Amino acid sequence: MTKQTSSRGRLRSLLPLALLGPVIAAAASVPATGPTIRLFPTTVLEDIRHTGQIAEEMESGLQSIIAKLDQQQQLYLEAKCDGAEGDPGCDQIAKQLGATYLDMLNVMNEGLPDMERAVTSTRNSLEKRLRTEVGKKMTPWDLQENLLGNTPNAAVKSQPAMRGRSGLRLSERFRQYYNLVANGGGNSAEQSLTVVASDIYLDMDEASILIARTQEEISRATLLEQLNQSFGVITPQMQEVVGGVKSILFGEFEGDAPISGPPPSDVKQAYSSPLEM
Amino acid sequence: MKTFKLSVLPLALLIAIGSGCATTPQPDCSLPDGNNLRVSIESSKTQLSNGCAALFDAYFDRLLTVAEGDPKSRHKQTFSEFLEWTTDSGLLSRRQAQAYYNRYFNVKFMSLAGDYNNCSYTCPRQAELLTRMEEELTDKEQGLLRVSLDRDSYYRADQLLKETELVLAATCTACAAN
Repeated sequence: MTKQTSSRGRLRSLLPLALLGPVIAAAASVPATGPTIRLFPTTVLEDIRHTGQIAEEMESGLQSIIAKLDQQQQLYLEAKCDGAEGDPGCDQIAKQLGATYLDMLNVMNEGLPDMERAVTSTRNSLEKRLRTEVGKKMTPWDLQENLLGNTPNAAVKSQPAMRGRSGLRLSERFRQYYNLVANGGGNSAEQSLTVVASDIYLDMDEASILIARTQEEISRATLLEQLNQSFGVITPQMQEVVGGVKSILFGEFEGDAPISGPPPSDVKQAYSSPLEM
Repeated sequence: MKTFKLSVLPLALLIAIGSGCATTPQPDCSLPDGNNLRVSIESSKTQLSNGCAALFDAYFDRLLTVAEGDPKSRHKQTFSEFLEWTTDSGLLSRRQAQAYYNRYFNVKFMSLAGDYNNCSYTCPRQAELLTRMEEELTDKEQGLLRVSLDRDSYYRADQLLKETELVLAATCTACAAN
């Protein structure tokens, strides 16, 4: 009995070691090319996935409404209603347009609190990770070595386009982030994630501010449009709000085109100086 | 006799001092003016060893200009060997030679050297650091691109600057939010 107890005790004490074995072996096999950091634990990964889902739900809710708005606006312009006040046909189109606009505001109003929670959660998790792992555990030189851990070609392939110029749907952008982070095994891929983490964090930081502002604006815009329904007016502000929603959710930018990168080079550089740091 | 000796002595001293000054040769610190990098390096080495060390920066700049006239990928090695010679001959410390080499011929930024963490050291001087990196990128453009034809490394350095700017913007926002 005593023998059995002691062997069980020994087994229990060995169990953590046995479980840790593969982890230790894996850690030992990772080449020590630069500081290794953990920016994307499961919780952050889950936050990103969830934010993408919420964005997708909101997109699918808004997509048909925005398409309808586009059609109505086109009809309004083709019918030369701009400036034709008092025309009963034009008033009718303007009222329909205003009603669709109200639908859009309602869908946004319903979806934004969830979006806000998801975005805030992702932002807070990344904020904590970036502060600890990059801000407090790294010198600027460490950061440089971490960023150089990945080759330029790998970086170009794996990273989503730079912030604010992606031309992607919001949900697609998050899907790419998630896939990149979840499937990005290997040391070099892991190191390029510092840029991805920074990119997502800054996006989320801006999105939080934007969502808060949008929520404030929605109630005001709803009230104004309810009043406008009585008069049937399409305001430039309405067009601006629709344009803004399209650009945020569907990545439709009318302004700057993405800047192309430099041409690939075929010069081979094998020399390594003994002075190199 | 005594009076003669006393009056002649200062004169003799003056002559001795004057002739002494006239015989000490002034070092020839004219910068190399040819187009051949090897020849320019050899002449620079001779002059730097003969009293022109104070003008090292000017010599280094001139050698880069000469190399720009005939860019080759092997110039990296040539400059590395020249800088190693400067440490061997005691003109520069190893650290100084490394600073010169890496500033012009390596992807890594010497401006990012620092021993303290990013929250406490880098973030308070973020703008200044990025300005220094931009200046260093100009030197890398000369060393990597125009002298050594190493486009890949230069574009990687350019990319690194952008990545650093992005990561620091995020990290410093996160540090400040604490």
